[in-house]
Amino acid sequence: MRTGVRSTGRAVSFPGRTSLEQILDAFERDAEFMSLVTRWERLPAKPPRYAPFPAWLDPRIVRRLRARGIEALYSHQAEALETARAGRHTVVVTPTASGKTLCYNLPVLDAIAKDPSARALYIFPTKALSQDQLSELVRESAEMDIELRTYTYDGDTSPAVRAAIRSAGHVVITNPDMLHTGILPHHTKWVRLFENLRYVVLDELHTYRGVFGSNVANVLRRLRRICAFYGSRPVFICTSATIANPEELARRHIEDDVVLIGESGAPRGEKALAFVNPPVVNSGLGVRRSALVTGRDIAATLLASGVQTIAFARSRVETELLLTYLRSRFPQPQWPSDLIRGYRGGYLPSERRAIERGLRDGSVRGVVSTNALELGIDIGALQAAVLIGYPGTVASTWQQMGRAGRREGFSAAFLVATSSPTDQYVVQHPEYVLERSPEAGLVNPDNLHVLVQHLKCAAFEIPFEPRERFGTEDTPGVLAYLDEKGILHEAGGKYHWADQVFPAEGMSLRTGANDNVVIVDTTGPAARVPGAEHRDGRARVIGEVDRFAAQILLHEQAIYLHESKQFQVERLDWENAKAYVREVKVDYYTQAELAVRVRVTDEFEARPAAVRGFDRAHGEVLVSSLTSIYKKLTMYTGENVGWGRIHLPELELQTTSFWAVLQERAVAGWPKERVELAVAGLGTLLHGLAPLFLMCDPHDLGLAVEVRSPHTQRPTIFLFDMTPGGVGFSERLFRATDALLERAREHLAACACDSGCPSCVGPARALGQDVKAAAAELLA
Amino acid sequence: MDLRDRLARVAAARTVLRAAEERTTSKRSEPTKGADPLPFVPSERRLDLKGLGLELVGLGDPDPLTLAHLGLRGEPPRRWEDIVFLDTETTGLSGGTGTYVFLLGTAWIEDGELVLRQHLLRDLAGEHAFVRAIHAELDRFRACASYNGKAFDLPILRTRVVLAMRGELGVDESHLDLLHPARRLWKDRFGSTTLRQLEASVLDEPRGNDDVAGALIPERYFHWLRTGDDRIIEPVLRHNSRDVISLVRIADRVARAVIDARGGRAPDHAPAALALARVFDRNGERDAAYRCYESAYVEGDAAVRARASLPFARALERRGDVERAIAMLETLLALRAGPPSWREQAESRLRRLMRVRWRRHELATAS
Repeated sequence: MRTGVRSTGRAVSFPGRTSLEQILDAFERDAEFMSLVTRWERLPAKPPRYAPFPAWLDPRIVRRLRARGIEALYSHQAEALETARAGRHTVVVTPTASGKTLCYNLPVLDAIAKDPSARALYIFPTKALSQDQLSELVRESAEMDIELRTYTYDGDTSPAVRAAIRSAGHVVITNPDMLHTGILPHHTKWVRLFENLRYVVLDELHTYRGVFGSNVANVLRRLRRICAFYGSRPVFICTSATIANPEELARRHIEDDVVLIGESGAPRGEKALAFVNPPVVNSGLGVRRSALVTGRDIAATLLASGVQTIAFARSRVETELLLTYLRSRFPQPQWPSDLIRGYRGGYLPSERRAIERGLRDGSVRGVVSTNALELGIDIGALQAAVLIGYPGTVASTWQQMGRAGRREGFSAAFLVATSSPTDQYVVQHPEYVLERSPEAGLVNPDNLHVLVQHLKCAAFEIPFEPRERFGTEDTPGVLAYLDEKGILHEAGGKYHWADQVFPAEGMSLRTGANDNVVIVDTTGPAARVPGAEHRDGRARVIGEVDRFAAQILLHEQAIYLHESKQFQVERLDWENAKAYVREVKVDYYTQAELAVRVRVTDEFEARPAAVRGFDRAHGEVLVSSLTSIYKKLTMYTGENVGWGRIHLPELELQTTSFWAVLQERAVAGWPKERVELAVAGLGTLLHGLAPLFLMCDPHDLGLAVEVRSPHTQRPTIFLFDMTPGGVGFSERLFRATDALLERAREHLAACACDSGCPSCVGPARALGQDVKAAAAELLA
Repeated sequence: MDLRDRLARVAAARTVLRAAEERTTSKRSEPTKGADPLPFVPSERRLDLKGLGLELVGLGDPDPLTLAHLGLRGEPPRRWEDIVFLDTETTGLSGGTGTYVFLLGTAWIEDGELVLRQHLLRDLAGEHAFVRAIHAELDRFRACASYNGKAFDLPILRTRVVLAMRGELGVDESHLDLLHPARRLWKDRFGSTTLRQLEASVLDEPRGNDDVAGALIPERYFHWLRTGDDRIIEPVLRHNSRDVISLVRIADRVARAVIDARGGRAPDHAPAALALARVFDRNGERDAAYRCYESAYVEGDAAVRARASLPFARALERRGDVERAIAMLETLLALRAGPPSWREQAESRLRRLMRVRWRRHELATAS
């Protein structure tokens, strides 16, 4: 019997729509706050579009959906169901919370309901997503009375159950990394799966771009090769956030025709969006108040009113800082200790799951996250999202904003701009986010560095036939080369793996470089000696970063932030890729300076300037980078309070680059110093804005400005791919140079500073008073 | 830039490739293809059982309990002739589909002799035929014996069989992996239980300097494939046949230790006696278990005593010797013999024994 009182198990109750409305009203009445808002947008609710269940859908599935109160499908779900059943690769582009899981779960459930031997492979970019999917599928199938065994198979899967998963799992949920090292190289243990593989689900396709995407595209080549060996031809069902080129991206991954389903039939709740630009603190220098501080205040206001809020910071370091800020704002014992939790990729699985649980049951009220949570993990009724810093892409922006109000209902999202050029561009041109996305997901599966690594893995998996092709590169040429080097062995026309090492091992899909630097915390009495990390279990590994980041973050004496604790690097063992750190309490952080040189090894294409005074080209380059000094900056004001030397070897990067060469006539009669200043400023500006076209993090793109490049003999701005071999950025920049220069001109004109600031051409104080004017003149 | 230059650049960025570049790449010879009926068998030898010093293996029939001591999982074979002793040499140690078995050494008992046969893959192009041949070879037997084969040789063999013929390996269902009994008997005494170590310590025949280190074998094989120089592969063949013979002899030593213990002569090394006792216990051989526990308890140092004491107390209780069990535990507890977890268990065991004594006393007085 139902009683009047519902026990939800929650300790606290959430304010309803009115109170969120009230808080927003309060924000709107606050003139000081509103002076920071560049756009206050109310997105109206959108009604649903339905389509009936297809007649062929298994009746048990229909029954179950009806029991859940679902009387019809959304139009995009029905479309996906039909195309998948017709055996056509499908990519579904829909916003967050549009019921995309059914787009792939229904075809899979139907296939298994009709043929219990059918198998499906679900690939999610992160483990956390897999967990969420697992619980959903298990619940669904149980209630449908369909015999369906679903397992996650990832690094956390215990060896004891692995054998059962391999032979009995109908649906295997995994991530690209596990597919790469754990499944494909051992495909003989997965005969059942590969022989009967009907569907491959690629969720969050847009995340498979850049170096990760280029690697994943090759992992998928290997997957299809193995499927062909076992005689199956799976249909791929992909989902993607809104990007400019979902179909193209899917085609590059699947290397076959795909059907695009781009219209969502799902309803959308009403949503308030605010674009916030922190106040200028020093108009002369164009210095703005920290986005972290402004964002913290918004988040704190929301949290104090009981609104379950998620705040996104762009980096680990910022996440940790924000967490520290917010925790000090809601101190114990008045507030429970886990009121606000941090969440990011580097956390242990158990830590992550505890946070996810806390979010669902309401004991965790605020979350500070990096983009680990941006993906579609269902964490329930978050009402507000605060984005500290533009997340780097429009797709991520919508996904992070979508964390609040995934289900129907009223929600709010705040985007707080940092002073970075992209942020300033976006906050001053909100239509860039609100209108049709110009950003493209780029991959380069034929990047030779990437391709060769995967070709080796593929040869390990199944010997290469003489006529076989792997990617568009000259496969026989690569095979012959590897044979000559003794890595493959040609026999009877086939190329066999002929090396002792396991090629997939230690080869990361997520970074270009293979060897990461491991961070070892030696705090604790038993582990005073560096190198003693095993003794007593006192020392522990707290994270890892790639080599290029390590020279900036982990040089000796660097302050490294983890879990809002500060660690000082006591010793960096560069050869063995280990950094030994110890917890400290200091009021400064460190920033390393990087010197970069570029040598052009091959010019692919060049084009003279059309309108503005820049010739442009792209090609292959060799970049050397060296860190030699670091600065100590105070935590809250960023004042310089000291410096030190860094002794690390020079790093070399062979990659692709775009470059712009300043023409003689554009600066005729200029003094040399002014040319230098103008090019330096413009380089900073272009580097800042280029990510708008590339869906990349600014760190994925390197900048080098040479006053007289040995290659071009002219002042030259290089924007290069930080991934060895490149993932396609430079070509896209080459093609979009004029658009990039136009954005730069617009941005510079709109920038509020007097003579140059970090948001545009860089601080005039550091470069020279004339920098902004000089750069503007080049763009005019 | 042409492909080769670009590949060379990629190579320069990769340590794996760099290491490989330094390797000598000499001219490849055409693989020799003989017309003999067993194209993969380069050698077959027959050895005298007595000459190998075998006392049990191959003589009489094995009893299932002894086979259980030898690490058997699965249904026990009835005759020694049903067991194939095997050892593989592979192109890598990591497993996975790109690791090939290129040499299979097998040995079995036939007509009172030990027959030793080796299958060698002379050309990777013939791998499928090779796998079919070794599959047929292994399929003749009901059980196999190996040294660490459960974790290493058999998974790789299974992978090859799936790839070459989508088949399965029946011989793996009854598997005597001697690594485990060898560990029980000798790990504590010799520190390591590699086959190499046991040859030196148990068989008293250390392997000479001419033996190839296992880690170098894959490289040697590929070198041989490329050069066709048989002097490169011969040491590997010797290494493998030696391994297989040692495997048979170690099996015999393990079986002897078991039979001796059963006959009242428990190993004098206390940890080994304790380990044997546990297996006897598990197999329901109570007398043998009791003797080994006792031996372990009497001969062992304080740590072994503490470990032996609880199962020994149970064995004593089963034999009706409650008083001795109580006295033993009381003494050990008074001496603060074991760690806290042991003390807890010992105390609980002691309380139980006290209750038994009390019940007996009541029974005795009631009658």
